[in-house]
Amino acid sequence: MTFILKTQTGYADAALILNEISMKTPVSVLRLPRGPDPNSRGFDPNSPRFIALCPTTLSSSSSSGAVDEEEQRLRSDLRERFLRTLLLMTDKQVEFNMHEKVRVRARFGASDIDVLNFQVSGLETPLGVQKEALLRCQDVISCSFEL
Amino acid sequence: MAMRQTPLTCSGHTRPVVDLAFSGITPYGYFLISACKDGKPMLRQGDTGDWIGTFLGHKGAVWGATLNKEATKAATAAADFTAKVWDAVTGDEVLTLAHKHIVKSVNFTQDSNYLLTGGNDKVLRIYDLSKPEADPQEIAGHTSAIKKALWCNNDQQILSAADDKTIRLWDKNTQEAVHTLSFDASVTSMEYIPDGEIVVITYGRTIGFYNAHSLDLIKTVDAPASIHSASLHPEKDFFVAGGDDFKLYKYDYTTKEEMESYKGHFGPIHTVRFSPDGELYASGSEDGTLRLWQTAVGKTYGLWKCVLPEELSSENSEVLYCPPAEIKA
Repeated sequence: MTFILKTQTGYADAALILNEISMKTPVSVLRLPRGPDPNSRGFDPNSPRFIALCPTTLSSSSSSGAVDEEEQRLRSDLRERFLRTLLLMTDKQVEFNMHEKVRVRARFGASDIDVLNFQVSGLETPLGVQKEALLRCQDVISCSFEL
Repeated sequence: MAMRQTPLTCSGHTRPVVDLAFSGITPYGYFLISACKDGKPMLRQGDTGDWIGTFLGHKGAVWGATLNKEATKAATAAADFTAKVWDAVTGDEVLTLAHKHIVKSVNFTQDSNYLLTGGNDKVLRIYDLSKPEADPQEIAGHTSAIKKALWCNNDQQILSAADDKTIRLWDKNTQEAVHTLSFDASVTSMEYIPDGEIVVITYGRTIGFYNAHSLDLIKTVDAPASIHSASLHPEKDFFVAGGDDFKLYKYDYTTKEEMESYKGHFGPIHTVRFSPDGELYASGSEDGTLRLWQTAVGKTYGLWKCVLPEELSSENSEVLYCPPAEIKA
């Protein structure tokens, strides 16, 4: 009787084993080694080693929390500066650079709440001076004025 | 009853595995890093082969990879002319060290503060990792590409093997070559065993063992085929070697006799290393896989389970993966 064993070493060994007619039992394994996760680069942040050795990051969610806080602080700073600039601009002669190489001057009045339109007076245009006008903010590239 | 070795295959790489290294034993076990021509070195749990993560960032084949003793840092050497240092816990890239040519070898000192690199520009470089912007200390002398560079003798000396068929022992401080070994064939691999001060060198079909201080020859053993890599067991009772004929050979270090040979890989074996506890050895091959082999075949360790004949046929054997006893068509 021929006793045939296929081991994990693959088909190349089949012929060898047929000739050997070995009675050795292959060592059993609990499972095969786990392979890479196709969706991530690994380094599970919930593994005991990660948690123990990365105390500064605590967990991944709170580490991004720290970054968010900083970003939020910067955002509020920038917003505050912008609003103060608008306040300073009130009743001053402002030059607006707009798309299509349009440059106009006017006395700045106010902005609406969403910064969609600027209310201006005495808008100097090639067609004449417009006593009251609204400038569409999305058309404005930049504006400058003297303090 | 005699047991047949069941190697554990670690898949994941898509190109040849050219280098591998184990960390020391840490409170979380020990780890294994593999360098692959696909440019994506991987970290695995050392005793099971389970994948932990992939270090993403290199833009070329990775030729060398190493872990520090605590497995908290990793370093890789690549064909994109850089060596990179990584956080081995998070997988993040920590440092990129630009070189002028392909980097082949990287090695940490015991305290992980310095990184030694060597490659095709023939110069050994020592980077102080606490001052990464500072220029590295450079040691020149080799006349061809450096294949492997290792710290030795308490990190006071450096061993380097190059394609100029020499191995040189350098003093780190004087930057001079203290000893040189010349060979007729290219040296294919080098391993340093600190406990015992032995250097294992392979060239042609020979595995040579040398004293790490004097570079005096201790003994040589010839294998049936060209050998690419060899590793000595921590207890120095055996060593394993693999090369061109796809087989792994196990030899008795004292008697120099071949004890076993194992088939399994589908391509030449490029690298083989014993784990720090000596219970297993890992081999990396042209076939893109890493395989883990038991030192004591049949012992319960890692994923291997010692099973008595009665258990194999009982109902309890469901939990065990037994290699099927049939040949697939």
